[in-house]
Amino acid sequence: MSRAAPVRRRRALVQYAAVVRKEVLQTIRDRRIMFMLVMAPFIQTVVLGFAVDFDVDRVPTVVADGDRSPLSREHVRRVLADGTLRFAGTAPSAEVGVAGLDAGEAAAVLVIPPRFAADLAAGRPAEVQVVLDGTDPNRSNVAGAAVARYFGEEGRRAAESAARAAGLAVPARIEVTPRVFFNPSLKTAPYVIPGIAAMLLVVVTTIVTAMGLSREREQGTLEQVAVTPIPPAWLLAGKMTPFVFIGFFDVLLLIASGVWVFDVPLRGNLGVLALGTLVYLLSTLGVGLLVSSISTTQQQSFLGGLLFTLPAVMLSGIMTPIDAMPPWMQAITLLNPLRYYQELARANLMKGAGLADVWPQLLALLAFGVAIFGLATVRFRKRLK
Amino acid sequence: MSAAAGRLRRFAVRVGAMAWKEILHVRRDPRTLVLALIMPVVMLLLFGYGVSFDLERIPLAISDQDHTEASRRLARAYVAANEFAPAGGAGAEEALTLFRRREARAMLVLPRGYGQELARGGPARAQLLVDGADPVTATQILSKSDAIALGETRRMAEASGAAVAPPIQVKLWIRYNPEARSAVFIVPGMAAYLMAIVAVLLTALTIAGEWERGSMEQLFASPVGRLEIVLGKLLPYLGLGLLQLLLVLAVGAGAFDVPIRGSIWLVVLAGLLFLAGMLGQGLFISVVARSQLVATQAGTLSSLLPSMLLSGMLVPIENMPLPLRLLSRIIPARYLVDALRQVLLKGNGIEGIWKDLLWMLGFAVVVLGLATVRFKRRVA
Repeated sequence: MSRAAPVRRRRALVQYAAVVRKEVLQTIRDRRIMFMLVMAPFIQTVVLGFAVDFDVDRVPTVVADGDRSPLSREHVRRVLADGTLRFAGTAPSAEVGVAGLDAGEAAAVLVIPPRFAADLAAGRPAEVQVVLDGTDPNRSNVAGAAVARYFGEEGRRAAESAARAAGLAVPARIEVTPRVFFNPSLKTAPYVIPGIAAMLLVVVTTIVTAMGLSREREQGTLEQVAVTPIPPAWLLAGKMTPFVFIGFFDVLLLIASGVWVFDVPLRGNLGVLALGTLVYLLSTLGVGLLVSSISTTQQQSFLGGLLFTLPAVMLSGIMTPIDAMPPWMQAITLLNPLRYYQELARANLMKGAGLADVWPQLLALLAFGVAIFGLATVRFRKRLK
Repeated sequence: MSAAAGRLRRFAVRVGAMAWKEILHVRRDPRTLVLALIMPVVMLLLFGYGVSFDLERIPLAISDQDHTEASRRLARAYVAANEFAPAGGAGAEEALTLFRRREARAMLVLPRGYGQELARGGPARAQLLVDGADPVTATQILSKSDAIALGETRRMAEASGAAVAPPIQVKLWIRYNPEARSAVFIVPGMAAYLMAIVAVLLTALTIAGEWERGSMEQLFASPVGRLEIVLGKLLPYLGLGLLQLLLVLAVGAGAFDVPIRGSIWLVVLAGLLFLAGMLGQGLFISVVARSQLVATQAGTLSSLLPSMLLSGMLVPIENMPLPLRLLSRIIPARYLVDALRQVLLKGNGIEGIWKDLLWMLGFAVVVLGLATVRFKRRVA
């Protein structure tokens, strides 16, 4: 009995190594797969890093200046100078400007009323109108706020100088000076790239695993291997191992390109990130396995993988803040491994968070990984029998 | 004349037979069908409820070192408008810990002497520490804080009677989506995105599957022509895609009150042109890739991500650098998203979207042509 155990363990190891070797050979042989697994994530990161910029600026704006006075021109120039709005032409009247909004030629119309300067000079209040294309709420909010802020500040200054001219006490002013931490220039890329890593790992590992196993089932090769003396758990472990390495490689590539191309800071300990990645892969590969165990064809596997991947990306906080979701949806995100990996990667890279800070995320990922992988193995074994 | 008509009829019969065979395939595999139809609904509900950049009650730590009526009033102004919510206690140490642990996204510091400065009439200075890790939230915090400080200043001026109403008033008029609901923004984009998934990937997968299993060669041995095979295989997916589009619009209108202000036929026309291009792309990928695994990855890379990120669905195109703006010109989803927004939200007619339609038609013609050429060479 005591002698049999080490022998069995050694035999299992040999079997495991054989499966790994076969999988590696098979994957390397197909150069297109290698390209898709390694180069595609890289290309995606670069494109996404440049494309995803939530900073709203250059909103095309048509100006309908009904006053055409030096004062109105000066205000228009200065509103446009801050970069949020981009000058996209003039319109003779507000109606023409709004028609341009309908046609999609502009996203905002700045309307200065006739007699704007004369009214102000006479001490009458003047009203500036901003017509916004509300299709994109984020954009219209920011553009509206920019104009309101400019004229609010102008109004305050005008009131102040009026008070001074009349010899009244200048009203007190509150100044709140902001100081931005961790990402002072408020660039989107350092925030988005760790999220992209989480997203691409799911696409690469979950869907590829699910489809790969379904293909073996379609071709009947899985049954052939199942009749060999390899225990199913070792077989699965062997099949997953190359993907763990590919996943690691992809993360390294992503972070390297993030650091070089997008100035993503590397403030944390990379060992912690590596540990997080490993536990995270346990979940993503486990889901792939689970999906393949309930599908019969590659098409089903793909759709099933997608049915997990897309909502998981949505509910992870990668693209939009979790705090902005309704409470019931925030509760669902607690069951999403992507959320924890995203938090871990961002905290690690941007704030230098170490084990002391991210152990809850690591624990959650580990729990998910073990649970999903365990469930998948059980189901898979049942399928083989 | 009648010979031509007869040939056309036989052509139609054979295409119909191929399409029927494909429909049977899909029907025999109800899981695929269910997944393809459930996914849009699930995604739309999630997106509709979940995608929002607009934060309310942002957790704010307040460190009041002044302890005067004035400092308390500013702190109250921050949390009064529901834009910020106080996070935990008020001690300086505690506030800093909350901010560090990310339990507060921003921290308002009211230094000693704030109230005195204000009483003296000089600018009273407070500080706002902002967590910039999430730039979207940080930008909102900055602009909300600006507005609150300005509002308080104005309120004080009015209270002291030193100034009248601000001379320049700004009136915002938000069109098409006045309540600024994210769902209205998301639904047209989601329609394009989900149709891209089904059209490109399902086509690529089913045709690549035929190559993998060798059943494509069997089809070639039948009297059905190459073109007929292709058309027959694509038709059911065209139908599935249209079904998805209508499903997405119905759920959007039912659950999120997304308006359908323009003509529904224009929407269908735009959808058909888009689908034709996407099916062509799927066919092309399947011919080049040959295996379903490669086809998936190629499809994901060439259609899913660009359809989401370069189409203007989530991220405005005008913010992108020039190479990406150029690249987005050959992404058909860009034109569909624009056309759908124009027709659904603005109620525009053909005069607003004919350019979008032309671009999608052009894409479809080029891609279907390329795919057919590759397909013929492949089997020759």
